[in-house]
Amino acid sequence: MIPDFEYAFYVWTSYGIFAAVIAWQFIQPQLRKRRIEAEVREERALQTGSYE
Amino acid sequence: MIWKTIKVNFHRLGSPPTFYRLAEVLAPWLWGGFAVCAAIGLYQALYVVPPDYQQSDSFRILYIHVPSAWQAMAGYVVMTILAVIALVWRIRTVEIMAMAGAPIGAAFTFICLATGSLWGRPMWGTWWAWDARLTSMLVLLFIYLGIMGLYAAFEDRRKGARVACILILVGIVNIPIIHFSVEWWTTLHQGATIRLFSGESTLHESMMPPLVWMTIAVKLMFGAALLDRARNDLLDQDRRKGWVQSRLGETA
Repeated sequence: MIPDFEYAFYVWTSYGIFAAVIAWQFIQPQLRKRRIEAEVREERALQTGSYE
Repeated sequence: MIWKTIKVNFHRLGSPPTFYRLAEVLAPWLWGGFAVCAAIGLYQALYVVPPDYQQSDSFRILYIHVPSAWQAMAGYVVMTILAVIALVWRIRTVEIMAMAGAPIGAAFTFICLATGSLWGRPMWGTWWAWDARLTSMLVLLFIYLGIMGLYAAFEDRRKGARVACILILVGIVNIPIIHFSVEWWTTLHQGATIRLFSGESTLHESMMPPLVWMTIAVKLMFGAALLDRARNDLLDQDRRKGWVQSRLGETA
């Protein structure tokens, strides 16, 4: 299943770096969005006194 | 009539709620397109394409190194166009888009430099050389980091964006330097293998399809990540405005 390459370390490390950076570009904005939304809800709850 | 409709819709994008809605709809499609194109490209790159007769399997690094390098430069050109629009027409959503491009461009530049280094070690016998192509690419990374730093240094985000837009315009001079570095100077890095507009490509046609798929994939990914980041910046800046409050009220 996993191809047996010559220079395998260099090839797989490169693809690994690519995958890690792309995954971070996908995940980081989702985490930030969640954080901002939670902060906004917190601020609103503090103003209104309602945590519903 | 059509022109007027395009113009009106373009100006509508200046409205934060409209832009936010559009980004929310478009981004998942772009991510989906990226996933499909990358899956095809990676499968072909790792399983279909035969090893190179000189570089053996190490040449497979090309399928992430080259699209990343192209995207690092193309992303900068996109940011420059956005910076010009932002500086001339002072459209806030465009300012935000220009700023959102920097971390993604920096990520692609980093991938290009890291994978280039990993390719260079077995082929050139060194991880790094201070040759014109490598050095100008490193300068691009520093420019991206500089734009991010400058934008973050200002408490007034709009002022920070305008100053960073000027830096983007100054930094564009590095793009032709990167492109022509292998022609202007004697470099360890090889000359252009793939020519889109002039001359003949020296890459064998059997090696071409994964490169095309991966190039399309990273372009879609750039668009998706740009919209995601711009949407977050907009949400952050407008957090006390009515449209954000009502949106979050709906999703709560």
